[in-house]
Amino acid sequence: MAAAGCRNALTGAAVALVLGLLCVAAFAPQCSAATPVTVQAQPESSPAPASNEGQPKTGAQTKTIENVEPLSSSDATAVLGKKVKGPNGEDLGLIVDVLVDADGRPRAAVIDFGGFLGVGSRKIAIDWKALDFTALGRAGTVELGLDRAQIAAAPEYKPGPLGAAAVTAPPAPAPPVDTHR
Amino acid sequence: MSVALAKSRSDRDEAAPAAHGLDGLNLFVANIQTGFGPFISVYLTTQGWTQTGIGTALSLGTIVAMASQIPAGALVDAIRSKAMVALLSILAFSASALLLALRPTALWVYAAEALHGFSSCTLGPAIAAMSLALVGQAMLGPRLGRNARFASIGNGIGAALMGACGYYVSERAVFFLTAAVTLPAIISLLPLARLRDPAMLPVSSSGTHPTRARASISSLLTNRALVIFALCAMLFTLGNSAMLPLAGNTLTKEAGNFASLLIAGCIIVPQLVVAAISPTIGKLAEQRGRRLVLLIGFCTLPVRGMLFATLVNPAALVLIQALDGIAAACVGILVPLVASDVAGRSGRYNLSMGFIGLAIGVGATISTALAGWIADAAGAPTAYICLALVGLAAVLLAFNAMPETRPP
Repeated sequence: MAAAGCRNALTGAAVALVLGLLCVAAFAPQCSAATPVTVQAQPESSPAPASNEGQPKTGAQTKTIENVEPLSSSDATAVLGKKVKGPNGEDLGLIVDVLVDADGRPRAAVIDFGGFLGVGSRKIAIDWKALDFTALGRAGTVELGLDRAQIAAAPEYKPGPLGAAAVTAPPAPAPPVDTHR
Repeated sequence: MSVALAKSRSDRDEAAPAAHGLDGLNLFVANIQTGFGPFISVYLTTQGWTQTGIGTALSLGTIVAMASQIPAGALVDAIRSKAMVALLSILAFSASALLLALRPTALWVYAAEALHGFSSCTLGPAIAAMSLALVGQAMLGPRLGRNARFASIGNGIGAALMGACGYYVSERAVFFLTAAVTLPAIISLLPLARLRDPAMLPVSSSGTHPTRARASISSLLTNRALVIFALCAMLFTLGNSAMLPLAGNTLTKEAGNFASLLIAGCIIVPQLVVAAISPTIGKLAEQRGRRLVLLIGFCTLPVRGMLFATLVNPAALVLIQALDGIAAACVGILVPLVASDVAGRSGRYNLSMGFIGLAIGVGATISTALAGWIADAAGAPTAYICLALVGLAAVLLAFNAMPETRPP
């Protein structure tokens, strides 16, 4: 009796699982990226820096249509999670964060570098100016003129009051950016 | 006499496909679990997730897994057909791999993590219970050795396959592959479903059916051997689980262009060792006792920590990882074996597994946080030494307090 009850319950659970999967399958085709639209907080001021992720910001003024202007993917692209390629096209890592200054200008990209299947990667802050974004819209990758050995020698990025050392590309050596002034 | 012979032969004929099924099940499940490892954070990063979001999702998975250990164990005890439990758990793995691949948005990823966390807690005990049902208490040690061998082959193949898939195809493809591997896992389960209920549970010596005389939970959780073993396993994991990520981090820093390959080596070398030695370890546990095997496994940890702390040669790190294989084989076999010694006949086998699993989960969670904090504050060598000291504490506790649980 008890076993039969269990089996019925289990069958029910299995059916629920299958239904859940069907739901997922049904939802899946709907995911498509709409053209990002930015909402400007102050339309009359100097051109506001485009949101790094190109995602709509929810603001109080959404009802006033003149504050909305289209931002096409050729103008701006999301950078979080994009691959960073080295000079020879090798995979270096992924952009996981962007460090900005008080004016909101990007100063450094935090790159998760190396590892295998997620084991053993390190985070390193790279001077924003050392990154080449020209291929971002086309290939979805960012280029960096440092090879793996040079990046491996860079200090690890640690968020928090200790500060972050940023690394620059060798052709244009600039003093390390102190992002925490 | 001839009747008895014929019966034993038919038993064997029936047991052979089931034994192979169990082999396959261990292999494919380990394969699947590789996909749910730390790679999830790489994948979510490529999907534009922030580090905070990824941390939340992974913590959710950990919390669900820890909170479900004991209830899931009790649930598996209560369900007669362990093959059904295994089937549902594997289906849940398929669902959560597909969710991750198709809908990497917050709600669905949380759902996938929770689903995977819970079903991991039901699948492990179910596999152990089917092993016990298949071979009986007396032959459980060698059978668990065989389980460990196939699981480690699955882990090794999984790491190579998923690593290649993530590198050459796409991060998302890893989760489609993971979902695909659930199919052969389910097929391996088929011959096990034919095991009849009386065989699913060991019959105690007096002949009474154990489910009818289920031991009380409190008597189980005050069982000295079980509690000491869980504490030992927790201390060991506390010292062990941060060792590989820390070594990987050192490699990424020191080894330049070959770092990823060497880290792959650090993951795969222990699996090769487990595959090679675990049947021997299983026999050793049966013939010479659990205490000896426990002490052998635990002793490798302080040695490994001290070697990591003193040697910086990247190739040496990969070789030292062989010690991890010895420890993994010993601990991997002993967890279900000691649980069976303590509770195999009480109808609380899976609950005991859940209890030990919870202790291990707590140790693993603290380990990563602790080692990360020490490495940040005082450097990786200090972190290795601290982990080695925790390992030494596990050895001392096991040596002084752990009783021999092998049935006479």
